[in-house]
Amino acid sequence: MKILVIEDDRDAAAFLSKGLNESGHSVELAYDGEDGLHLASTGSYDVLIVDRMLPCRDGLSVIRALRGTEDRTPALVLSALGEVDDRVTGLAAGGDDYLVKPYAFAELLARLDALVRRSQDAPVENQVRVGDLELDRLTRRVTRDGQRIHLQPREFRLLEYLMRHTGQVVTRTMLLENVWDYHFDPQTNVIDVQISRLRSKIDKDFDRPLLHTVRGAGYRLAELD
Amino acid sequence: MLEGLFRTTVFRLSLLYAVVFSLVAASALGVLHWATKSELRDQNDARLRLETEVLLERYPDQRIPALLETVRQQNEQDGRNRVFFYRVLGPLEQRLISGALADIPAGPGPGPARTYADMRLGDALGLEPGTLPYDVPVRVLVTDLRGGYRLVVGRDVADQRVVLDHTFQVALVATGVTFLLALLGGGLMGMDVLRRIQGVRRAADDIMAGDLSRRLAVGTRDDEFDQLSVRLNAMLERIEQLMTGLREVTDNVAHDLRSPLTRMRNRLEVTLLEARDQSEYRQVMGDTVDDADQLIRTFNALLAIARAEAGVGLQDSGEVDLATLTEEVAELYEGVAEDKSISLDTRIEPGLRVRGNRQLLAQALTNLLDNAFKYSPAGGRVELRAAADPQGPVLSVSDTGPGIPEAERERVQQRFVRLESSRSTPGSGLGLSLVKAVARLHQATLTLTDAAPGLRAALHFPSLYPPRSTKKNGSASLLRPHQTPNR
Repeated sequence: MKILVIEDDRDAAAFLSKGLNESGHSVELAYDGEDGLHLASTGSYDVLIVDRMLPCRDGLSVIRALRGTEDRTPALVLSALGEVDDRVTGLAAGGDDYLVKPYAFAELLARLDALVRRSQDAPVENQVRVGDLELDRLTRRVTRDGQRIHLQPREFRLLEYLMRHTGQVVTRTMLLENVWDYHFDPQTNVIDVQISRLRSKIDKDFDRPLLHTVRGAGYRLAELD
Repeated sequence: MLEGLFRTTVFRLSLLYAVVFSLVAASALGVLHWATKSELRDQNDARLRLETEVLLERYPDQRIPALLETVRQQNEQDGRNRVFFYRVLGPLEQRLISGALADIPAGPGPGPARTYADMRLGDALGLEPGTLPYDVPVRVLVTDLRGGYRLVVGRDVADQRVVLDHTFQVALVATGVTFLLALLGGGLMGMDVLRRIQGVRRAADDIMAGDLSRRLAVGTRDDEFDQLSVRLNAMLERIEQLMTGLREVTDNVAHDLRSPLTRMRNRLEVTLLEARDQSEYRQVMGDTVDDADQLIRTFNALLAIARAEAGVGLQDSGEVDLATLTEEVAELYEGVAEDKSISLDTRIEPGLRVRGNRQLLAQALTNLLDNAFKYSPAGGRVELRAAADPQGPVLSVSDTGPGIPEAERERVQQRFVRLESSRSTPGSGLGLSLVKAVARLHQATLTLTDAAPGLRAALHFPSLYPPRSTKKNGSASLLRPHQTPNR
């Protein structure tokens, strides 16, 4: 996909650009807020990566200006300010996701992916299906190959989130934030344990596993060949 | 100091009051002076009228020669200290004299016309100017008689004038003294205020110069200045605490981030010394990323502690249901317990509400659980309790690990402190520090006790409501005013 990176730290921008290129994306760079806003409003991008503190015009103001012109291009805010209130102002300005520096590159990729899919997706359907795994949001019924699978409420929400992002990498932090609404990392590998419990329910008795671990990044729910 | 005095509010106010009071005093004394003067004149006039009546009564047919004779006798009678004097002016004489007496117009009608006047004795008696009693002030009553004669009765008012002038001077002096006294009082009060303000200013200068332990002097008067000083001292206390905390963080960061940074640097340096194969590079880089991650975690934990200690985070505080929060966290750790073959025993009483930040509280609880699961052996047991004490909600986590010796329990709550016995287990030594900081932010206390075996860590929260009105289903509680914890 086509990504605009607005970041004043040229080294960081170069790394980002390199990493994103190697991950198969095309990247354009802007080093200050005015340039960034100009590029963003004239060009067409799938997603914007915007640093919060920029020369000329700060990142949130860039996003606000874009949203003011009905430009809905998803934007991910990068910031060295990490507390919850900063996050809230970032999202309130029209950012779609917020990532605190320093971040893992895998985390950034996963979030970009999630953002772009979300903006392209059709409205959320009540029934979702991955392979022979089916989930019904209304009846809260989960079946695989026609067999009913009983899930705890939280497991249901975990599976629902994974299925909404079918085929994408979902990181532990994304799960903590979106399924548990925790914006901190517990030391214990609680998410891994939760995933393995979910896996034992949806994958254990079946030949083809659907819930995969992506090394160094997170998890992916997909029907792989 | 003097220049400063003129600028004080107290002095300016007293100056204003001095002016106002002096004006009031001056006008009061002026009225008194004027009233006395007019009263004296009335009395004089009454006496003059009486004297005239008596004289004229003695001569009802107004035979002038007899009157002249009586007047002459009267004038001689009283001697030197006489008060009244008399004079009869004939028609011829009247045409010859000049001065104040001549200016008095003749009466209009045939009856005796009377005219009062103030003049000098010399004018009234026709004395030569320059003679001694010429200037004595007199009050005269001039009565027009038949045949163009005029009877003049006068009264010496010099004594009265002296008294009046004296009271006038006294009034002036009194006004001046009032003004000066008010000014002096204002000055003294201003000096006092100034002295105390300068005490505060000096203390502030010292503090700004770096002496954070300096405090404002608090007197024994318990007046508004003392009360202000007490509040300011409390504020300084808090600032000093924060500064100390900040300094500790800096020290700790220096201490605890340096060694892993050195390790990272050394690893990379050594790897660069000679050419190595691809897989070795990958290995080293992977390790370095892990090291960096650990550094970031430590750094984040330190920041979280510092922020909690500084009171950041309470701005998005609300009412948090501890029961729900504990349930959610417990659910998150159920799998961990199963994995480690440790039984997690959770008992939660409903309706435990505290005011605070959900994220921080959850983080504190996960830190306690992380510790409990880290130190409990396989087959052990972790107890998680959320209970309503009479004093307020209590969150506690007990494990069956080795526990912490009593002597060390205070120390382990400090940053980076790890027991010798736990050096082999991973961890940064920041977990309990964060719990403690979060507890303080929520006005809760962290206690570490012996769970025999193991450790029981408990957070005692203050009661949000008076014990009686604790509501299990708190719809009414939303109507309660916000109770901001005072930190």
